[in-house]
Amino acid sequence: MISFANLSKMNWKNKLIYLIAVLALIGFLDSLYLSASHYSQSIHCSIVSGCQEVLASPYSEIIGIPIAFGGVIFYLFILINALLYIDQPNKWSFRSLAYIPIAGFLFSLYLTYLQFFVIGALCQYCLLSALTSTGLLISGLRLAKTESKKYPSVKNL
Amino acid sequence: MKKKNRIWFWLSVLFILATLSALIVAIAQNKPQGSTTITGQEWFKGNPEAEVSLIEYSDFQCPACASYYPLLKRLAEEMGDEIKIIYRHFPLSSIHPQADLAAQASEAAGVQGYFWEMHDLLFEKQSEWSGQKNAKDIFIGYGRELGLDIELFSADIDSRAVKKIVSDDKISGNQAFVSGTPTLFLNGEKINNPRSYDQLRQLIQNELEK
Repeated sequence: MISFANLSKMNWKNKLIYLIAVLALIGFLDSLYLSASHYSQSIHCSIVSGCQEVLASPYSEIIGIPIAFGGVIFYLFILINALLYIDQPNKWSFRSLAYIPIAGFLFSLYLTYLQFFVIGALCQYCLLSALTSTGLLISGLRLAKTESKKYPSVKNL
Repeated sequence: MKKKNRIWFWLSVLFILATLSALIVAIAQNKPQGSTTITGQEWFKGNPEAEVSLIEYSDFQCPACASYYPLLKRLAEEMGDEIKIIYRHFPLSSIHPQADLAAQASEAAGVQGYFWEMHDLLFEKQSEWSGQKNAKDIFIGYGRELGLDIELFSADIDSRAVKKIVSDDKISGNQAFVSGTPTLFLNGEKINNPRSYDQLRQLIQNELEK
């Protein structure tokens, strides 16, 4: 395990995995909040107006399942893999952390596009998710670059 | 890492995740309670001394609000002695480009004491001005119809004071967690929009009997 107690002494490569865990946790809680709000049909938005438009739009769900729920699964998956990797660095968690955020980022990009150009309203919780998924993409790719020697199969990333 | 440590690691992960998730779900499901204090400055119909108040957050350009308008109008006519019906602006400007201007027009008419007349006209003729670039000219036409001092009216539409009234209402709506229009608060408590006049009337009756 990468020791938590020695965080300050750690080099930045090892800190990266904690950064990924924190970003995934933020994303997880954020999309969990959005999913729960979708069902209770009330959302606390006092900073920017527009979340009600976004969350009430037909794009907010696919066959009755809120899109935010996909975010819950995605971030939880990344979070668990980051924790597994902290516990015991391994090939499969490493690959998940390097590759899956690419899909998450692209989907998030699409949702941001919808908000700006199709719905014409912004929801701060969705934008937060766009930020965390971008952060996960960047840190995932960095992790892939720095750790690729250990796992030659992803050398070319 | 030692086996014992690993168990602790995963147990604490599980505990922290479960606690945070439960917390977030609880926050999300916390139904908004109206922090809707009546200031005495707002436009109302009915009895100013009434013990039961109904606050409506509304948007002149919202179709649902326009279809609600006859219900509330009838309510004021039939139960006006027992309740106080308050109108507050909550223009959803991002989807209704003329909603702010319409709210300002109603307040500008209000300066001359014709708020409710303009309110009625705006809802009745919503389809006439909604989405029109020259909405302001149409509103001025309504002002003329109501016999307002047109010069004063068209100056008031864009005045800082009028804009402030609208934005103050919006702020109060945000504080009360209004998330769409129309939103009704019965004695400060958010209620689900009744589907029919009878349902609405029944809700008020129940509140009166409390």
